[in-house]
Amino acid sequence: MVLFLAFTVIPVGYTLGSSFFAMRLTGEGVLGGIRTSVFVGLENYIAVFQNSEMLAGLGRLAIYGIIAVPLTIGLALLFALLLDSPGVRLKRFGRTAIFVPYAVPGVVAALLWGFMYLPETSPFSYITRAIGLGSIPFLEPEGLYGALANISIWAGVGFNMLVIYTSLRSIPGELLEAARLDGASEVQIALRVKVPLVLPALILTGIFGLIGALQLYGEPLTLKPMTNSISETWAPLMSIYRDAFVLDNLPEAAAASNVLAIGTVLLSLTVLFVVRRINARAAR
Amino acid sequence: MSATTRELADRRTRYLPTIILILGAIYCLIPVAWVFIASTKAPNELFNSFTLQPGTGLLENLSELFSYRGGAYGLWALNSLLYAGVGALLSTVVSAAAGYALARYTFLGGRIFLIALLAGLLIPGITLAVPQYLLLSDLGLAGTQLSVLLPSILNPFGIYLCYIYARGAIPEELLESARIDGAGEWRIFSRIALPLMLPAMATVFLLQFVGIWNNFLLPYIMLSDTNTFPLTVGLYSLLSRGSGSPALYSLAIIGAAVAIIPLILLVLTLQRFWRLDLITGGVKG
Amino acid sequence: MRTHRLVAATIVAALGVSLAGCSAGDTADGEPVTIQFWAWAPGMDVAVEQFNSTHPDIQVEYTDAGGGNDSSAKLITAVRAGNAPDAALIEYTALPRMIIAGVAEDMTEYVGDVQDAFTEGTWQQTTFDGKVYGVPQDVGPMAFVYRDDIFSKYGLDAPATWDDFRSAAETLKVEDPDATIASLSTDAWGWYAAVAATLGEDWWSVEDNVWTVNIDGEGSQRVLSFFNDMYNDGLIAADPILNPSYNSKLNDGTMLSWPSAAWAPGVIYGVAPDTAGNWELSPFPVWDEGDTETSYQGGSGVSLISGSEHPEQTAEFIKWLNASDEGVDLLLNESNLYPAAISGQESAISQDPPKLMPQQTDYYQVVADISKNTRAVTWGPNTDVAQSAFTDAMNAAVQNGTPWVDVLTATQKAVYEDMKKQGFEVREG
Repeated sequence: MVLFLAFTVIPVGYTLGSSFFAMRLTGEGVLGGIRTSVFVGLENYIAVFQNSEMLAGLGRLAIYGIIAVPLTIGLALLFALLLDSPGVRLKRFGRTAIFVPYAVPGVVAALLWGFMYLPETSPFSYITRAIGLGSIPFLEPEGLYGALANISIWAGVGFNMLVIYTSLRSIPGELLEAARLDGASEVQIALRVKVPLVLPALILTGIFGLIGALQLYGEPLTLKPMTNSISETWAPLMSIYRDAFVLDNLPEAAAASNVLAIGTVLLSLTVLFVVRRINARAAR
Repeated sequence: MSATTRELADRRTRYLPTIILILGAIYCLIPVAWVFIASTKAPNELFNSFTLQPGTGLLENLSELFSYRGGAYGLWALNSLLYAGVGALLSTVVSAAAGYALARYTFLGGRIFLIALLAGLLIPGITLAVPQYLLLSDLGLAGTQLSVLLPSILNPFGIYLCYIYARGAIPEELLESARIDGAGEWRIFSRIALPLMLPAMATVFLLQFVGIWNNFLLPYIMLSDTNTFPLTVGLYSLLSRGSGSPALYSLAIIGAAVAIIPLILLVLTLQRFWRLDLITGGVKG
Repeated sequence: MRTHRLVAATIVAALGVSLAGCSAGDTADGEPVTIQFWAWAPGMDVAVEQFNSTHPDIQVEYTDAGGGNDSSAKLITAVRAGNAPDAALIEYTALPRMIIAGVAEDMTEYVGDVQDAFTEGTWQQTTFDGKVYGVPQDVGPMAFVYRDDIFSKYGLDAPATWDDFRSAAETLKVEDPDATIASLSTDAWGWYAAVAATLGEDWWSVEDNVWTVNIDGEGSQRVLSFFNDMYNDGLIAADPILNPSYNSKLNDGTMLSWPSAAWAPGVIYGVAPDTAGNWELSPFPVWDEGDTETSYQGGSGVSLISGSEHPEQTAEFIKWLNASDEGVDLLLNESNLYPAAISGQESAISQDPPKLMPQQTDYYQVVADISKNTRAVTWGPNTDVAQSAFTDAMNAAVQNGTPWVDVLTATQKAVYEDMKKQGFEVREG
C-alpha cells in the first residue's frame, strides 16, 4: 500500500502538478538569464494539443496500433488453436519456438530486426535481389509501419499464444466431444465452439496489446540510426522523452504524458464497454 | 473402452495446419538464429559476408566482449541478475501479501485501491519514471542500484493476479477453522495462505523476472554510471555512443547472443510452472 | 516536497533498507577532498588514477556516464535532482544550453592561469561574454579523410576546394558507378553549421545578453544548395552514417571519403580495420580558392558543475587534466583524443600516424597545420531544438525532393521562436 503510494500515486500527483509549470528565463545572467520554474496554468496542455508533431505522432501510433494489435492477437489465436487441434504434429517444437522471442529484450529484438531490414545485411532482400526484384523497402516510409509492427508481433505472439492456449485447455472435453459427434469439422469446432469460449482471454490480451502499442518507444529508438524515415518525434513517447530530458522541458512532457495516460485509460474502457455490449447482445 | 473421437482424429496427421505451425516457428526463430550466426563473425566479416554465413571470429568476439572496459559486460550481467532476481523475489512477496489482504479482509479503501491498481496498469511507464527519478533523488538514491530495485518491487499486475488467486483458491472455511484454533493472522497467512498461493507466486515471479530483465526505460533513466547498468542499457550504450564514436555492432551482437541464452533456458524450463490461466481468469470476474 | 520526503523515508524504513550517507562533502581539516567527475572517453580512468596518486589531498571519483545526447540530458536531470558531479565533460555544442540550465558554473576566477595553454580560437569555445565556463579538453579540426588508393587509381588528388570535390565526384561516378564519394546524413546539423562557419556565418551569436539567430544566412544557403545540387545529380548520398549499411560500404570500398574532422580515422578503423593503409587525411576543402580558414567539428571541455562544494579543488583537477603536460599526454596516449592544449598538439606531431593510415607519416603535422587556422563556432542555448528541427526538415526534404535551403528557413524559425518563448532577448540575423 505504501509502496503503491510511493511509486504510483505520488508520481502521478507530481506529474499533474508539474504540468502546470514551465521553465522560463528569469533574472539577469550571462547569456540572458537562468531558467526557473514559473506557473503557467493550462498553457502546457494547450501547447500539447497545438503541437502538430505530437498530433502527427499520435496519428502514426494509431496506424501502427491498427496493424500490430489485431495481427498479434490474430496470429496468437491461430497458433493456439493449432496447438489445440488434433492431428497437428511437432506441437512441442512449435510451441517452444514461438515462445522463444518472449525471452528477447525489446531493444535487442529491434536491433536484430534492424539487421534483417537493412538492404546490405538483410537475408530477405538478398533473396529478392537474387531473383531480380530489388531490395525490400522495409525502412522506407512505405514499409516502415509494417517493419515496426512486425517487431512487436514477433515479440508478442508467443506470450499471447500461451495465454490463449491455456484458456483453450480449460474448455471441458465433453463439449468438444459432443460437437465432434454432431459431425462438426475441426475448423467449425474452432470457430463456433472454442473462439467464443476463450473470448475473455482475447479481450485481455487485446487490451494489453493496446496499452503496449501506445507505449511504443524502444523499437523506433533503436531503428532510428538506420534510417531517415524515423524522426526524433516519431512516436509520442519519443517526444515526451525528448521534452523531458533533452530539451529540459519537464512540464510540457508531464502534460503530454498525462494526455497519453488518460487517452489510454479511455481507449481501454471503450474497448471493454463495446465488447460487453456485443456480448450482452449475443447472449440474448 | 472405445477411443474418443479426439484420439481417433489425432491419429491422422493434418498437413496444412502442421505446416502453418512450422512456418510460425521458423518466423520466430530466424532472428534468433541470425544473432547466433552473426556472433561468430569477426568485425570485418560482419558487413562483408553474406548475412547467414557463419564467420570465424566467435572466440575473439567473446574475449573482446568480456574484456571490454575491464569486464563491464560481466558486471552488466550480474546487475541484471541482481535487479531481476531480487526485484522479482521481493515483488512476489509484496504481491502475495497485498493480494491476500485485498481478497481476505474488507477494509476501507480496499475497493478504491483495487480500482487505482487497475488504472495503474494503464499508465505509460515514462509518466511515472520521471517523478520516480525526482523522488528517489530526494532520498539520495537516484543513480544507485536501489533506484532500479525499489520501483520494480511494486507490480500492480502481480498484486492483481494474487488477489484473483487468493479469492479462488483459499477456502474461507479453512481460515475460519484456523482462527477458531487460535492461530494469529500472521500465522494464518504464512502457514496456510502462502503455501496455497504458491502456484500464483511462481507465475508472478517469472513474469516479473522476465519483465525486469527486459526492462529498458527505468534503468535507462535512473542510472548514469555504466558500472550499474543492466544488460539492456549496457547493450544500448554500445550502440549509441555519441558523436564521433561508431556503434560497436559486433560487440552488441555477441553481447545480445550471450544475454538471451540464459533467459531462453530459464523460460523454457520453467514454462510448466506457469499458471497462465490465472491471467484469463481475471477478466471473467 | 516535504511530504514526499516523509513518505519516501517511511517506505525505505519499512523495507528495512539502511541508507548510506548522501553527500561526499568532507570538509574536516587534513581529510582529503573527494570530487566526482563524469566523462566518457576510454582511458579516462587511467588519467584519474594518475591524478589521485600525485594529489593526495584531492581524490577524484570517476564515473563513465556514456557520451552522446543522453549524457547532457543526464547531467541536467542530475543537477535538478541534486546529485550532480563536481566536474563533467560537456560537448561544445551543448555548453551554452548547460549554462542557461544552470548546470555549468562560471569558473573564470580559477582558470586565468591556463588560458595561455590554448590558442585563442580554442579558448573561445568555452568563453561567453568574457566569462569562462570550462577548460577545453579535445578539439576536432575539420579535415577530409578519403580513400587515397581509389582516388589515385582514377588520377584524382585530395580536393582543395568544394568545386574540386564536385568534379572528383563526377569522375568517380563515371569510373566507379557503384561507389559514393560521401554521405551527408540528414541529422548533420552541426556539420552544416561548422561548414557555414568557414564562410563566416554564425548560426548563433551573443552580445550584451542579446542573441542573434542567423541560420538561413546567405553563406548557409550557399552551402545547402551546393550539396543539394550534388545530391540531385546523384553525386552524394544523404543516408545515415555509421549504421550497418554505411559500415558495409566502408568495408567494401564503395564509400570513398568522409568530410569530417581529425577524430575520424579512429572511427573508420573501428569499423573497417581491413582497409587500413588505403586512407589519407587532407585539409578540409574550402569554398573559394585562397581561403585557408576552417572550423571545428565535435570536441568537448570539462566544466565545473553548479552545487560543487569544492570549486577550487575541482578547478585544480580540471586544469591538471586538460592543460598540464602530464594530463594532456594522458589524453593523447590513453584516450586517443586530439588535445585542445597547444602543448598536446605539439607533442602529437612526434606520434606515429593513426592505425588507419600508417603510411601517412606527416599525418599529425597536417592536422597541426589545419589546427592553426581554425575559427571557433558559437553555439546557441538551444542547439537541441536546432538539431530536431533541422533533422526532421531535412528528412522531409530528402524524401519529398524539396529544396534543402527550406530546411534552413524551418530551422531558423524553430530556433528563433523557441528562444523567444523561453524569454531570451533575441533578434533574427
